[in-house]
Amino acid sequence: MSMLKWTVRLLMLLSIMGLLSGCWDNKDINHRTLPLILGVSLQDHEYKIIMQIPELVHDSVEIKMISESGKTINQAIDKISVNLEKQVDLLHIKVIILERKLAERGMKDAISGFMRSEEISDKAYIVICDEDLNSFFEHLNKTNDPKGMTLYNFFEKNAGWNPQIAISPIWQVYRSVHSYTRDVAIPMIKAGKSTICDYTGSAVIKNGKMIERISPDETLLFNAFNEQSTQGKIEVMNHASVLVVSNSLKHTTSLQNNKPYMQSRLKLKVVILETRGNPTSAIIKQEIDKLLTERFQRLFSKIQKSKADIFGIGQHFRNKIPREELVRWRTDYFPNLQLSLKIVTDIQNEGYLKIRAD
Amino acid sequence: MDKSHYVMLMYLIMHLGLIFFMYPENIIASTDAVHWIAIVSGLAVQFIFIAIYMKGLNFFPGKDIIAIYGSAGLGVSLVFLVPIVLYFLMINIITVRAYSEIISIVFLANTPLWAIMILLMLVSTYIAAKGVETIFRTGLLLGLLFLPMILLIFLASFQNVDWNYVFPLYENDFTFWTRPTFYQSFFAFAGSFLFLGFVRTHFPYKDNKVYLTVLSLVPFFIFSVYVPVLTFGQNTASTLHFPYVVVIDTLQINWLIFDRITMFFLFTLITFIMLFTSLILWMTSRIVSCCKPSIKQMYYTQGLAVVIYILCLLVPDWKKVETLFTWNAPLRFYCLIAIPLSVYYLGLRSRRKMRHEHA
Repeated sequence: MSMLKWTVRLLMLLSIMGLLSGCWDNKDINHRTLPLILGVSLQDHEYKIIMQIPELVHDSVEIKMISESGKTINQAIDKISVNLEKQVDLLHIKVIILERKLAERGMKDAISGFMRSEEISDKAYIVICDEDLNSFFEHLNKTNDPKGMTLYNFFEKNAGWNPQIAISPIWQVYRSVHSYTRDVAIPMIKAGKSTICDYTGSAVIKNGKMIERISPDETLLFNAFNEQSTQGKIEVMNHASVLVVSNSLKHTTSLQNNKPYMQSRLKLKVVILETRGNPTSAIIKQEIDKLLTERFQRLFSKIQKSKADIFGIGQHFRNKIPREELVRWRTDYFPNLQLSLKIVTDIQNEGYLKIRAD
Repeated sequence: MDKSHYVMLMYLIMHLGLIFFMYPENIIASTDAVHWIAIVSGLAVQFIFIAIYMKGLNFFPGKDIIAIYGSAGLGVSLVFLVPIVLYFLMINIITVRAYSEIISIVFLANTPLWAIMILLMLVSTYIAAKGVETIFRTGLLLGLLFLPMILLIFLASFQNVDWNYVFPLYENDFTFWTRPTFYQSFFAFAGSFLFLGFVRTHFPYKDNKVYLTVLSLVPFFIFSVYVPVLTFGQNTASTLHFPYVVVIDTLQINWLIFDRITMFFLFTLITFIMLFTSLILWMTSRIVSCCKPSIKQMYYTQGLAVVIYILCLLVPDWKKVETLFTWNAPLRFYCLIAIPLSVYYLGLRSRRKMRHEHA
């Protein structure tokens, strides 16, 4: 009896080994292809997608470009998967490039699709391509980066990112589609002459639609306003060029007669890099102030005209405007907003050379 | 001997497993702003009934809830224990079905549901069949292994919050009372505390420590709702299934080797859920085995597991799972309200009787 019992137990234990394979319909890594970059454009009411797929040729990796079109993005991907000997796996998509035409037409559905999918990470960056997507990818293909990581590193904070580049992961774009008070700026790139890509500024997105564009310098202010670090950006004035080392921001808001007012104080710490002539630190501070204030005013009036609150200013009025009213923030309140920005500059150090105080 | 730490840990694990999935979604759906009022009022109700329940149990030292009802007569036992059995069966069906669907949505898209469910059921049935000591010891093990990780991920989830979304802090809006989703949110805490009455003979505990555990869970309840709201805003968060899990998906931690923390978070919580289902299964079989005590409790556990599995297979889609939540509501409130009150009442009565006998 006990012999039988033990045999049964042993068999049961052994059968558990069958579970060790872990996954259902598991496909080995060599039967999957893991693209890092996905390009999407719109062609006569059909999505066209382009992917870079790494391929092993004689012990070295080569990047192949594959494109297909379909009514939905997933249909196009599926078509690629059908025609490929491997399964396309989007788990590692890091950057999604959308053609400008698609962004201008509205990308609500595309973004919702990315959000819905469990395969594509919500952290993947959305980028807008400022030219024809095909020619951009052809250019991208000429670079001999074996891993195809170039474009991802371009936006990665601990790699090639610079403070004048906007960063917009999928979830932030999705948030702007539904939020009352928050819009987003998406970086725009095109093929560069000597470098891989050329950063041409950012697209202002309102409810998933591109409505305006801002320059790289203006994007810097956008980043500063959203309390991203602007460390490392070099500002050039008439008499000096300085390096921004840190920035901080404070707001006070008020609402009078249903008109919103906001006072902001941007505090910059800079280091002097080069001077022209013999300026005093007071002159340098004045010049920074003038340069940034003018740039900010230009940017702000542009944003206000387009009624897209990429600064998230409405956020600061959440405790002043009731929710039912906040729905109309973009149309009723934001265009009337009075914003005054005060820039305070500290010169943290001037390097090895002395500078006169005044 | 005081074995409070086992009970505390079990209480924590059960609730952590339940909080982060449906609870935020239900609360966000039940109110547009000032979520904390909905959260706190739900928790206050829970706290009151736990207090009544424990006070009631204290009238009967060394007796578990089955013995308490048993001593009051067959009629009383039937009126109170049958709904508990039904409720526990429902809980088990819903958790196994819902969590297998969550697993399939989040990471095992190709695996058929029956396979996921069979694995979930197999593990929990095995633990449950080994008895309550095994369940609590497994709880200790899981707590030591996974609680630090859960805490870390919980803290990391504040990465993208924008505190401006907290406002408005107060609004005179109590319409959440009328929304069914508010009552669905009770799933995360109502009824599961009944285990305190089942295990007190095996694991004696101090009431104060249980209160402490209940209070220490409050921040988790509050922030499981507020983290998605603060990250996305109410309007966006209300469009999401499992908003907290989506927030975990947006986290970027550069120094971690793994790109997606969501997987770890889910694996951890699913082990908690397995333990939760095994405890519920054990309690159900404990009651059912009173019908015919000559059969070993283990066989009841296995039989019930098969019944639960078959019923789980009959639920075709997510919409039906949500309907089950609604159907379950009357039983949930019966267990939340009637059981503690009845235990308390029986306790008062038995004390009066004792005094009479002494006098």
